[in-house]
Amino acid sequence: MSTSVTTLIREHVKRIETTPSIPTVFLPLLELLNAPPEEVKLEEIIKLVSYDNTIAAQCLRVASSPLFGLSKPPESIKGAVISLGLRRVETILLTCCLGQAFPAKQWALDPTLFWRHSLGCAMVCRKFSEKLSAADGDKAYMAGLLHDIGFMVNCLAFSKDFSTTVERALREQIPLDEAERAVMGFTHCETGHALAEKWHLSDDIMQVIAHHHNPEQCQEGKPLVALVHLSDLLCRVRGLGYGYYERRKVDLVHNSSWTILSQEYRDLEGVDLARFTFELDQDVAEIYEMVSTIFGAVAARN
Amino acid sequence: MITAAQTAVAKPGSPKASEPVDPIFRQIRDLVYKVSGIFQLEEKLYLLADGCGRRMKQVGSKSPRDYWDLLTAHSSRDAELRHLLNEITIGETCLFRSPPQLDALHKVILPELVADKTKQVIKRLRIWSAGCSTGEESYTLAMNMLEQSQGLLKDWTIEIQATDLNDRSVEAAKAGIYGDYALRATSDYFKRKYFSPIDEKKLQVRPEVKKLITFSRLNLQDDSKMLFMKGMDLIFCCNVLIYFDGPSKSKVIDHFYSNLNFGGYFFLGTSESLMKLNDKFHLVHFPGAIGYWKPSLKSGKL
Repeated sequence: MSTSVTTLIREHVKRIETTPSIPTVFLPLLELLNAPPEEVKLEEIIKLVSYDNTIAAQCLRVASSPLFGLSKPPESIKGAVISLGLRRVETILLTCCLGQAFPAKQWALDPTLFWRHSLGCAMVCRKFSEKLSAADGDKAYMAGLLHDIGFMVNCLAFSKDFSTTVERALREQIPLDEAERAVMGFTHCETGHALAEKWHLSDDIMQVIAHHHNPEQCQEGKPLVALVHLSDLLCRVRGLGYGYYERRKVDLVHNSSWTILSQEYRDLEGVDLARFTFELDQDVAEIYEMVSTIFGAVAARN
Repeated sequence: MITAAQTAVAKPGSPKASEPVDPIFRQIRDLVYKVSGIFQLEEKLYLLADGCGRRMKQVGSKSPRDYWDLLTAHSSRDAELRHLLNEITIGETCLFRSPPQLDALHKVILPELVADKTKQVIKRLRIWSAGCSTGEESYTLAMNMLEQSQGLLKDWTIEIQATDLNDRSVEAAKAGIYGDYALRATSDYFKRKYFSPIDEKKLQVRPEVKKLITFSRLNLQDDSKMLFMKGMDLIFCCNVLIYFDGPSKSKVIDHFYSNLNFGGYFFLGTSESLMKLNDKFHLVHFPGAIGYWKPSLKSGKL
């Protein structure tokens, strides 16, 4: 991509500051959750979240929803962590934070679809890395959750062009990144990368955001990028895409990302892809419910 | 904007059986997958439990645990698994059983096959419904091909071979008479266009649909007959392979592979998989559907 386009995107991303920005707890929270499981500082997370009343309240509201089937709604973040487990609370917190950072009314994409895809991809990334006996499932989860964050930038900073892009993708039933290239000349990978820079996200997550549509071109951390690439594709053919029919066939095994992963993880050879797909289907309903509960809470705020 | 409400990808069946099922049924689910490639989703586990319940009554098992023993004991397992598979696949057949497969056919596969064959003098598509039972799948395919006869398939000849082991099934298929249950997923549009009422409760497939199909008896294990089924573009074989043991299943799949033209597709039932029985086929995903592709010569991926 030319330098002038990169500069243009950076300029636009800078201006996003004037819109409701990301809750101050988000980035420290991300950092805490990014720590290896044995080093996660539960007390600090709880303390951090308690600083932001809105986030804490939203988290409790979601945790109390019938979806989680708790006999008694949690009264504190600590209670929620104890009854739901840290991972669930993580998901809820991050989604609430991000939902707050980006107002619903400016979306060319339905936020519900965006969150379903992001959470779905996060979940698939974690499960996939478990299948591969890869060490860092939580990192994979985070990468899946944030990979498409460039769409948010598009909604805010390039709303008109991005609306045209979405219309075109729908009309021609083509992938959004293809439509972005045709209409805008750049994609959510570039805009997401600019935002990731601004947020000082870690290098590996930044690589995922920038290269999840062309993993073979990234310089470092290829296996994680490849894992997100495949999980993203799988989500889009199993009811966790962007809500329209993408006319294409997806051959995951004969994809360069599969090759990248197979060089890194021996266990890939033993993965029964059809069965993995069926297992994923089992979680789709849960993702739908989780998002409508979380997003319902976010929408009510706006 | 795309909204969740507009989403073309159907929301998966809503959860969930009100009562928790005995964990032993998950073990049975895994056993069934191992021998047949059929995967029962968590939310459909109660169907498996129902099927087991009916078998337990017939064989006099007192508890799911007793039944598990019967399914795994050397002396009884083969026969009992066959009974159980019968029980869980019975009554599943209906017309228009898998909309995602039909979408893949209309939106991706037919355009691809037609484009691949443009240079051929004879514009002909050959389809095989292997294990056609009482004809539901065969007629569904025929009607869907007819829908394209003024568009994509204008001036094309469509030949559908429909075969089954069972003589009585083949006779019933030829008659093409269906009641409400078999037609539960058929829209009024198709009922009006391709069926004639024969009494208050039953509809019969019209001659112009039947004209596309040749029904005959065929044993998939008969190697000499299988050699005559060459030159297929599409093969559908739904819930049939589950009855074969490992080695004969591999042999039948090899036959299917060699009977397909390069660039052709093989489809199983919606929750059925080839597992890892054949490494020549490429497992490919379409939205909501899994297919197996015999790579085309020009793709260079053999």
